[in-house]
Amino acid sequence: MIGERWMIALGAGATRISQEVGGILILTAQVLRALVPPRIDRRELVKNLYKMGNRSVPIVALTAFFAGALMVLQAGPFVKKFGATSLAGYGAGYAVLREIGPILIALMFSGRVGANNTAELATMTVTEQLDGLRSLAIDPVAFLVVPRVLAMMVMLVALTALGDLVALGGAAIVARSMLDIDWSTMYFSMADNLRPADFLLGIYKSVAFGAAIAMSSCYFGIAVRGGAVGVGKAVNAAVVAAAVSIMLLDFFMTYLVGG
Amino acid sequence: MSVAPAIRLTDVHKRYEKREVLAGISLDVAPGSRLGLIGPAASGKSVILKLIAGLEQADGGTVTVLDHVLTGKREVQLGVVRRRIGMLFQNYALFDFLTVERNVAFPLEQRGGMTAHAIAERVAERLRAVGLFGSEHKLTAELSGGMKKRVGIARATVADAELVIYDEPTAGLDPVTTQKIYDLLAADHVRTKATVIAVSSDVAALAGFVDEIAFLYHGKIIYRGPAATIADAPDPMVRQFVRGELEGPLQDVRPEAP
Repeated sequence: MIGERWMIALGAGATRISQEVGGILILTAQVLRALVPPRIDRRELVKNLYKMGNRSVPIVALTAFFAGALMVLQAGPFVKKFGATSLAGYGAGYAVLREIGPILIALMFSGRVGANNTAELATMTVTEQLDGLRSLAIDPVAFLVVPRVLAMMVMLVALTALGDLVALGGAAIVARSMLDIDWSTMYFSMADNLRPADFLLGIYKSVAFGAAIAMSSCYFGIAVRGGAVGVGKAVNAAVVAAAVSIMLLDFFMTYLVGG
Repeated sequence: MSVAPAIRLTDVHKRYEKREVLAGISLDVAPGSRLGLIGPAASGKSVILKLIAGLEQADGGTVTVLDHVLTGKREVQLGVVRRRIGMLFQNYALFDFLTVERNVAFPLEQRGGMTAHAIAERVAERLRAVGLFGSEHKLTAELSGGMKKRVGIARATVADAELVIYDEPTAGLDPVTTQKIYDLLAADHVRTKATVIAVSSDVAALAGFVDEIAFLYHGKIIYRGPAATIADAPDPMVRQFVRGELEGPLQDVRPEAP
């Protein structure tokens, strides 16, 4: 009896996840179709670039600074113990550029921008604004979703690049002020050891994370059912889906490039 | 030679999960005429309007609007018809990311073919007509329910559409404003000769505006007749509904539509 219930619950869960993944894939196809030829409302695009990008700079900079600082702080006792201060910058930079930077910034972006985007689209859906657009022969995907997807992808890449810089700065400041590792040691440790590929891997990841956050946040926004309760559930589902997608994508992308 | 109806519904069925909302609706609306739809709550009135606007697809039957069959058509194909339709939604459906002025201008901007100056003039005229001149730069969140309804009417009528759909045009408005709104809609109709289909719970006010009224019950149209004599309709259910009588053949209340 308990086993039967467990199987039913498992089946229902699998069906729901399949429906949601299918919905996200269909929406992705619609977005791609709207891009050929490009039918983008420029005003919506610029508005979203500003709202999603500029306003995220302080929180991303703060997160990145402490992420870089923490890397050095954690490694500090060991590099001191083994006299490997020349590797402190390399270690911190390697971790920040390839893993910590893209992941932390993407999660922060998902919580701030993705959740907000889902809530906004979901509210528009339950108040029939999407039907209002359709009644005027305007495709809601082309008008509302495409500019948001582009804005999120572009801005997450830009924020990740900025965050990388701030994180390396944070690492250097903490190394200097708390571990007595001078600026030049940190600089040459990074410059001599870090490769463009380390930075680019993080950027590639941020493109994929941006797409995952954008598609899940838009999908759950426009697929919402019910009123205020439905909006809350949609935001919750979007944030969870984005976080899971980020971790999965990170694992596979890291695995594919050989760690 | 007879003129094709502006709206033709032929044996239309619509189901939401297990509940059959429309059970074989057939309806013709002649070009330039005004039809009112009445019926108990959740009888499918708004669903009919959404089918006509192409926002919902029928599960069975055929929906033909302005000589285009909408049944089974894709969004792009439906857009061709929607450009000729103006629609007022029950819950306004105003774009909360735009000001009042841009909400009303939006259909004209999207259709193209008008200068910014001509659009601004047309929008100002519509806002003056609905008594909202001076509120152009407000966001819709700053408006009362009645004001939102009037912005919705201005948006629905700004492009002089061939077919105008009103879903509860005066819900939430006081009697004086209600009368003003119907006077405005009537004046618009005289000017544009558009086909109108309207749903309203305010039967008396609606009857003063439309030519005919159809009564929807249990997913079917069970009566259709002149609006002027709706209170004395031969069908006892219609009379009971219009007069608001508790006793009579109309007793069951159906669950809310999705």
